Amino acid sequence: MTETKHLLNHLPNDIGGLPADPIQRTDHELEPWEKRCHALADVLDFHKIINTEEKRRGVEALGAEMVGKLSYYERWIAAFANILFQKSILTPSELARKMDEVAARWENDGTERSP
Amino acid sequence: MSQHDHGHPHAEIGHSERPGYYDIMETAVRELLIERRLLGADEIRRQIEVLDSRTPALGAKVVARAWVDPAFRARLLANGRTACEELGITFYDDTQLIVLENTDTVHNLIVCTLCSCYPRPVLGLPPDWYKLKPYRARAVSEPRVVLAEFGTHIPDNIEVRVSDSTAFVRYLVLPKRPDGTDDYSEEQLAALVTRDAMIGVIPVSIGSSQ
Repeated sequence: MTETKHLLNHLPNDIGGLPADPIQRTDHELEPWEKRCHALADVLDFHKIINTEEKRRGVEALGAEMVGKLSYYERWIAAFANILFQKSILTPSELARKMDEVAARWENDGTERSP
Repeated sequence: MSQHDHGHPHAEIGHSERPGYYDIMETAVRELLIERRLLGADEIRRQIEVLDSRTPALGAKVVARAWVDPAFRARLLANGRTACEELGITFYDDTQLIVLENTDTVHNLIVCTLCSCYPRPVLGLPPDWYKLKPYRARAVSEPRVVLAEFGTHIPDNIEVRVSDSTAFVRYLVLPKRPDGTDDYSEEQLAALVTRDAMIGVIPVSIGSSQ
């Protein structure tokens, strides 16, 4: 009866106080796309399109599996896409088409530039 | 889809390598929003410059000023944001800043258990460990053990206070000025103050530097 209680009391982000591994003092230089993703988050917040709270809830709404498996900025961009769909600012098909376009553009540029 | 553990350093990616799925998604989302004129390409570029301009050196400047100027220290403890703004540190977001002073009886530690809230305008972006589960989960329940893992041993007669950041309220630790620094200039003092000391996981010592 109560074995699922923690799922309601603690959403995936709410991990304060849980047992966890020793601290590993990890860090990494952000990749260019990660830095762009961070700047995008800030600009979305400035324009009140997606604020910090919405971003956090958007990450939470990805669910435990994605929160566990995606990297930090992967979670952000996935959450932004979902929030923009929910707000009817973008549609999934528009994003899919644009992603194909970006990938194709890179393939073309990449072939041109490779030695 | 990438399956690696979150927060671990990614493999070095050369410029000629195909961009990953999420890299492409970021570019696509950004370009669509720019096409809709919901945001400007120049805004993203400018914000990247802002992010690059924020490093722990700003926080160190604030701490050193507080150590040498008691009136500034009082203003800093009363309102972190306006005191930092006095030193020309602009806040590019809506966050408030509360500065927590370490004393002979209190040691402060900051965390964001829900995600990664951090005093970015004065320290830049947080290190990965600050955003990962072990620190976020344990800092609030066993801070002394966590501190010990950073090599910081707080005697039992000193209270450890942990402050959990939110989207709107961020914290910065004002570490104790180390002994033996009476003849240091403000610049020399600032050079001793590290990011980790302003998170509260280590003290400032004469041997430390940025």
